[in-house]
Amino acid sequence: MPSAEVMSDTVLEVRDLHTQFDTPNGIVRAVRGVTFTVRRGETLAIVGESGSGKSVSGLSIMGILPRNAAVTGGEMLFSAAGGPPRDLRKLPEKELRKVRGRQISMIFQNPMSSLNPVFPIGEQIAETLRHHLGHSPAKARAAAVSLLAQVGISDPERRVDAYPHELSGGMRQRAMIALALACDPELLIADEPTTALDVTIQDQIIRLLARLQQERRMSMIFVTHDLKLVAEIADRVAVMYASRVVEEGAVDKVLNRPAHPYTKALLDCIPRRDYDSDAGRTLKPIPGVMPNPLAPPPGCAFEPRCPIPIEVCRAAVPPFEEISPGHNTACLRWRELRP
Amino acid sequence: MNAVAHLGTDTHPTAPAQEEDVLVRVSGLSKHFGTGGGLFTAAAAPVRAVEDVSLTVNRGEVVGVVGESGSGKSTLGRLVLRLLDPTAGRVIFEDEDITDLRGAALRGFRRRFQMIFQDPLASLNPRMTVGDALIEPMQLHFKLSRKEAAARAVELLEQVGLSASDMRRYPRSFSGGQGQRVAIARALASEPKFIVADEPVSALDVSIQAEVVTLLQRLQKDLGLAMLFISHDLSVVEVIADRVVVLYLGRVMEVAPTEALYRTPAHPYTAALLEAVPGTSRSGEPLKGEIPSPSNPPSGCVFRTRCPFALDACAADVPALRDVGPGHQKACIRDDLDL
Ligand SMILES: Nc1ncnc2c1ncn2[C@@H]1O[C@H](COP(=O)(O)OP(=O)(O)OP(=O)(O)O)[C@@H](O)[C@H]1O
Ligand SMILES: Nc1ncnc2c1ncn2[C@@H]1O[C@H](COP(=O)(O)OP(=O)(O)OP(=O)(O)O)[C@@H](O)[C@H]1O
Ligand code: SF4
Ligand SMILES: [Mg+2]
Ligand SMILES: [Mg+2]
Repeated sequence: MPSAEVMSDTVLEVRDLHTQFDTPNGIVRAVRGVTFTVRRGETLAIVGESGSGKSVSGLSIMGILPRNAAVTGGEMLFSAAGGPPRDLRKLPEKELRKVRGRQISMIFQNPMSSLNPVFPIGEQIAETLRHHLGHSPAKARAAAVSLLAQVGISDPERRVDAYPHELSGGMRQRAMIALALACDPELLIADEPTTALDVTIQDQIIRLLARLQQERRMSMIFVTHDLKLVAEIADRVAVMYASRVVEEGAVDKVLNRPAHPYTKALLDCIPRRDYDSDAGRTLKPIPGVMPNPLAPPPGCAFEPRCPIPIEVCRAAVPPFEEISPGHNTACLRWRELRP
Repeated sequence: MNAVAHLGTDTHPTAPAQEEDVLVRVSGLSKHFGTGGGLFTAAAAPVRAVEDVSLTVNRGEVVGVVGESGSGKSTLGRLVLRLLDPTAGRVIFEDEDITDLRGAALRGFRRRFQMIFQDPLASLNPRMTVGDALIEPMQLHFKLSRKEAAARAVELLEQVGLSASDMRRYPRSFSGGQGQRVAIARALASEPKFIVADEPVSALDVSIQAEVVTLLQRLQKDLGLAMLFISHDLSVVEVIADRVVVLYLGRVMEVAPTEALYRTPAHPYTAALLEAVPGTSRSGEPLKGEIPSPSNPPSGCVFRTRCPFALDACAADVPALRDVGPGHQKACIRDDLDL
């Protein structure tokens, strides 16, 4: 049990979270024991490949899972500033509605999924402010204009009346950030907010998020499949593979001294050209394929693709162990990665 | 080096391409969409998707094409393969001008160049097995018997890392990476000399991306293929390309051997693009704003509205591409920049 002092530094602690989908083909265990900590004022990146359970983890925290899905185990302890930790899973729906969108908010990969196409963007922001903070219509509209300005939308007095389809992809993403930040949340979950954008626009959005996060001392969960972005935006990182967090720790440690073979393999996949070597154009793909989510292996899910497995890796899921303060891995053989 | 010394028709002494190595040459290529108005509608300003592009691809060479969304990369690829008719300019393939070829004459040529798309399913008939998808073009182009074609199809599948048992499968039953392998096998079936790959790995996870890039590199080398590799991912292009063309608003901003382009970019737009790649130094200011409408491009240098170094003179004339180093050209009037 962490000490009281550590608790106050923690905004969200997710412990052994399980979420599953009931599908015609059987139960899909999309999240199978996810554990991570988000510290106040910091950014935790969740990185992993398609289908690893990143979005489902975010949706579970927000309590907005699709109908055929449910959280079946674990805790999600959220501590509002000055308040005690409360398990979001046990919160009555009425309480949860106050947390959602106000204390914790989420932005999505596809802005169209959270912006309503039939209302002007300013109206959507104003409506959130009226609903959560009880602003008068005039005050809400003025605040919406100011928010649009803060996220770098030029000519906000005019753009406040624009419909989502009248904006470019980058502008829509900015509008969505403005909407998510309207109530000054303590925790922002950004689910691949730049994946569909050009590098130049991605760069603008990343800088914007980093600036807003600092100004507001907001905490953030930044979901991405791009390890290169992690170094840029996050303080800590949780690496997901096949529905589990396999490694978590400070960014510099995890990226420079990975303690899980999957993290290392993922780092090796990043194209990096070395002009001084004949082999400087070769990439190192990860052999094999992702496990079938309907029938995951009983032990370490990465074992079939791992370069250094031993017998016990196959027998049972390796424990998620702290190998140095704040650095956890679910690999029994992590020392082998450190010659 | 004094770049002005190479101005004009002066051919650089160490220019890499010998004349006889050139496989594909396009000159002054333009494509304007939607020029004509209807009976009752005035002609809207045309979309200038590609504007006065000249480039060469040598035998066995990989030329990368980069630029933001809407810069004209895909349109250029389609023009080169004669899948679109140019508004102006010529396409020369193996010393033959194919710009005006139509119908059967063009189809006869088609076998020598192929295209690979971002979505592998886009180029495959969903109701056709992979075997039939491979056998059909071979029978068409080489008058092989079905049995001979089937044997060759199995060879092709093995070449791309699939197996004979995949012949009877349908495209949809493959994962993203496997699907791209099938699309590559099909592109190779007609034994082309030249391939346009349009964002072939953009939709894939990093680990699968590494796998497909490795496959393309091996095939390209083994078969001596020439390739136009289109991507918005600068890191992937750096690994695969011998030379790189940077497009902006349909125009070539810079062309250079890969190392020169990435290490010593000469055009402000290239420098800004590289600056935006995550994981690179964060010294400079991010590129402001977004790519303007291609229906109404800025006068003079099309990049000037976003260029941090623009002078009044930049608005006057479209800067000509001029030599700044061996095989290295840029379309910018300034020579006093430290990028
Ligand atoms: N509505 C659904 N019904 C059934 N299974 C689902 C549903 N949504 C997600 N899943 C499954 O849950 C698992 C995790 O999905 P999730 O969307 O969290 O992945 P992700 O890591 O966000 O991937 P991506 O990078 O592609 O967004 C996957 O195996 C997926 O197939
Ligand atoms: N058939 C068409 N009709 C009208 N405009 C078109 C057509 N095809 C492309 N365009 C326009 O031409 C411009 C260049 O498009 P193109 O698809 O070549 O860009 P791109 O660089 O491939 O972009 P992306 O990275 O998004 O694929 C864009 O403004 C696009 O909207
Ligand atoms: S020509 Fe002028 S506007 Fe264009 S890139 Fe060069 S300095 Fe910038
Ligand atoms: Mg997702
Ligand atoms: Mg394109």
